Amino acid sequence: MGLLSRALELAGIASVVTSWLGSVTRLTKPPRATFTRLQRGATLGQPGDAAQQLRVLRATLALLEQDAPLAPITLAEE
Amino acid sequence: MVREPVTLTGANANPMPEIFDSPTEWQAQYESGWLAHYEANGAIDWSLYPRPRNQEAVGGPGIPLAESRLLFVTSAGAYLPAAQEPFAAENDLGDYGIRTIPSDTPLAEIAFAHTHYPHDAVNTDPQVLLPLRHLESLRDEGLLGELAPAFVSFMGYQPDVPRVVAETAPRVVAFAKEAAVRAALLVPA
Repeated sequence: MGLLSRALELAGIASVVTSWLGSVTRLTKPPRATFTRLQRGATLGQPGDAAQQLRVLRATLALLEQDAPLAPITLAEE
Repeated sequence: MVREPVTLTGANANPMPEIFDSPTEWQAQYESGWLAHYEANGAIDWSLYPRPRNQEAVGGPGIPLAESRLLFVTSAGAYLPAAQEPFAAENDLGDYGIRTIPSDTPLAEIAFAHTHYPHDAVNTDPQVLLPLRHLESLRDEGLLGELAPAFVSFMGYQPDVPRVVAETAPRVVAFAKEAAVRAALLVPA
């Protein structure tokens, strides 16, 4: 996803990725990213926890308003 | 097993050079390590896999989210079983195609062809990976301008990185341009 995020940004489309595996996503140097400690297969939050999913979404989407590149933001979500 | 190698020579060596710093060097390492082991043993050894790396992040201007059209992109292997072929989830060498799915599709009509993440969570609550209803609510409250009429899905098990650059990325970018979006949200599985 980090490489696709770069491809979109280079095409003039502001892009952002959220990842539970920041250690790997970070290596690709995406333009904007949030990192969590959520689990594989549940990237946006725990199943049934709409509030958590929306927190991750809002925090991630907010980065689109900022010029890139940005340092990845770590969210306290697990 | 069908293998479709990408030839990295000449003018097409790296069609989007800023996406990935060193595709030729990466491919040599991949072919002599991970892929050679797979072809010799029929088994995957991730300790041999070269993680893709870049030296510099790419940049671009921020956008006014409340006035912008957003494209959602998922690597969860989502597809519409009533209308689309599933991804080649069992192919150890990956699937580099994409599917586009109307953004207002009921979540119950979407299936997932991807064998490299546990499906318990997404089967219980699809919005852990496909936040389509959440994005609609954020649009309705004015946080987002609008959603693209369709979202992009692919199956994120794609070990051959130059094929991602040469095949998947151009398809996603082309769809994003066709949909006239200003922004994209990417959610891996």
